[in-house]
Amino acid sequence: MPTIELSHVSKVYRTIKKDSGLRGAVKALFRPHYVEKVAVHDLSFHVDAGEVVGYIGVNGAGKSTTIKMLTGILHPSGGSIRVLGRDPHRERVANAREIGVVFGQRTQLWWDLALRESLNLIANIYELEPARYRQLLAEFAQTLELEELLSVPIRSMSLGQKMRAELAATFLHQPRVVYLDEPTIGLDVMVKERIRAFIRDQNQRNGTTVMLTTHDLDDIEQLCQRVIIIDAGSVVYDGPLSTIKQRFGTFRSIAFETAHPLEIEHLILPLGTAIASHGERALEVRFDRTVTSASQVATALMPQIEAIDFSLAEPDLESIIKQIYAGTHTAALREEVLV
Amino acid sequence: MTLALRRKGRLYRSIAVMTFKQYLAYNLWFWVQLLGQILMMTVFVFFWRAVYAGRGTVGGLEQQQTITYILLAQMIAPLVQWGQILPMGDLVREGMIAIELTRPVDLQERFYIETLSSLGYSLLQQVLTVGLFARFVFHLQLPSDPAIWAAFGLTLLLGNAILFCFDWMFACLAFYSTEVWGLHVVREGTVMFFSGALVPLVMLPGWLQSVASWMPFSQALYTPVALLSGIIPAAQAPQVWLVQLAWLAALAVGSRVVFRLAVRKVTVQGG
Ligand SMILES: Nc1ncnc2c1ncn2[C@@H]1O[C@H](COP(=O)(O)OP(=O)(O)OP(=O)(O)O)[C@@H](O)[C@H]1O
Ligand SMILES: [Mg+2]
Repeated sequence: MPTIELSHVSKVYRTIKKDSGLRGAVKALFRPHYVEKVAVHDLSFHVDAGEVVGYIGVNGAGKSTTIKMLTGILHPSGGSIRVLGRDPHRERVANAREIGVVFGQRTQLWWDLALRESLNLIANIYELEPARYRQLLAEFAQTLELEELLSVPIRSMSLGQKMRAELAATFLHQPRVVYLDEPTIGLDVMVKERIRAFIRDQNQRNGTTVMLTTHDLDDIEQLCQRVIIIDAGSVVYDGPLSTIKQRFGTFRSIAFETAHPLEIEHLILPLGTAIASHGERALEVRFDRTVTSASQVATALMPQIEAIDFSLAEPDLESIIKQIYAGTHTAALREEVLV
Repeated sequence: MTLALRRKGRLYRSIAVMTFKQYLAYNLWFWVQLLGQILMMTVFVFFWRAVYAGRGTVGGLEQQQTITYILLAQMIAPLVQWGQILPMGDLVREGMIAIELTRPVDLQERFYIETLSSLGYSLLQQVLTVGLFARFVFHLQLPSDPAIWAAFGLTLLLGNAILFCFDWMFACLAFYSTEVWGLHVVREGTVMFFSGALVPLVMLPGWLQSVASWMPFSQALYTPVALLSGIIPAAQAPQVWLVQLAWLAALAVGSRVVFRLAVRKVTVQGG
């Protein structure tokens, strides 16, 4: 039995649309005009125990909506969801006992309480054995570097401190499934690294199933073997990260730095290449590996531009996702998913 | 079983302690509120003295009885004043409802524990401030029989639970519309009047009294205060409790049903 299972799930938000001004407000009161927004449409996938899945898509694709339905907060408008064999909405409290969730923009800790007090409270809410709690607290305090923060109230923590505290709170009751909705948003590289290491460690040691939503592709590359990409509320890709990289990493780019100001109009580009970006003395060219090669591109361009330096970028996930987001590959991906 | 109870006890205690601490965090607000209350109380006492000028009884009550009632009612009023509509509205509007609903604690249960905790806190605070003021400035007279105090305590507790369940149903409307401020204002006015915070309900015309008796508000204020000030004789306490238990049973069931329906309607604001 999969740990998380969605079949044909949809979610429609219904909101009252108001015209501006007092007139609009009064009108909305007597004759409300509803607008429906389909946030998730015919969404199906499943996740097995112990997997770390990256759940990605552009702003407004429906990621947070999915997470909210999986946690049981939102009632799906259609289809069915099972988490650990339960309907998370109907059995919300029972489901809550076994899951952990981070909503990147909110805190589950109590604003005015010191971190230690908040964690005590959470330990009580999840009915942790006191001895086990002390052990985990000591462990987390070390791995997340929380020692100095334990006596600090949440309201006076920095973003990075808050997120570390948040993760400790989320994993404290050793949940079997954890949903992380943008856990690294707005953090610096060091904190991101620490958080990723912590998540990886929890996954490896306890077999925690993790679903991770993020716009930071380093998160994905470092944590997830599998990605699900959604667009406009439906799955457009579901599979291993490596496949996307192979399949869609056909474009690479070379960046040149030139001695003199560039005259872009006069450049003659070899077949299969296009200018990705340019500045006064900088040029980035994107090329299709199946048509040409890095050395061919370099040879063709070097004499034209008097390059003083050039570098070849590895095909990174970001540019691939960018292409997918831009719609270049959406059709191709859809076909593949269907095949 | 006992282990489960002990865990529950630990949870409830920590929620109560947290509520208590959050109250203590708002010090300034407390003094402002206190000043307002003392002012209100003084106005009320002078008002009723003026009403009684040259009269033996009003609406069947003697002056001393009415003044005692009004002083006590003003002390209890803050315990019924607020309700759950605004806090729930805030939770929904700010999207924090998402966090609350992912905790393995029934939200209504948690709100009730908090209400209970703030009942204890407010009561203590009222007795130590407004209570002392009433005692020394207006010579508030209280019964010495501990049985009456016990009856008062139980009635207050039951009344508070009744009011909580009632308020919970309206608080659930926040799941349907986040603009609940108007609802709160209406509730506050209705509760202040029909709970008996302003006038002893026995003084009202018969039809208004029966309207009041069909609303649950008086259970949380009028009934306990009337017991303590002798308007309702102590011998009637068992009947009072029976009525309260009936209210509680009906509203407890009602509030659960409404909550279950409302939770299906939750939409969480913001990412
Ligand atoms: N409470 C709501 N009421 C109405 N529409 C909503 C509500 N919440 C989300 N939506 C809409 O549903 C769609 C999906 O939103 P969702 O928050 O799931 O996106 P997301 O993938 O998490 O985006 P982001 O990357 O920006 O966080 C959006 O178009 C959004 O405007
Ligand atoms: Mg989101």
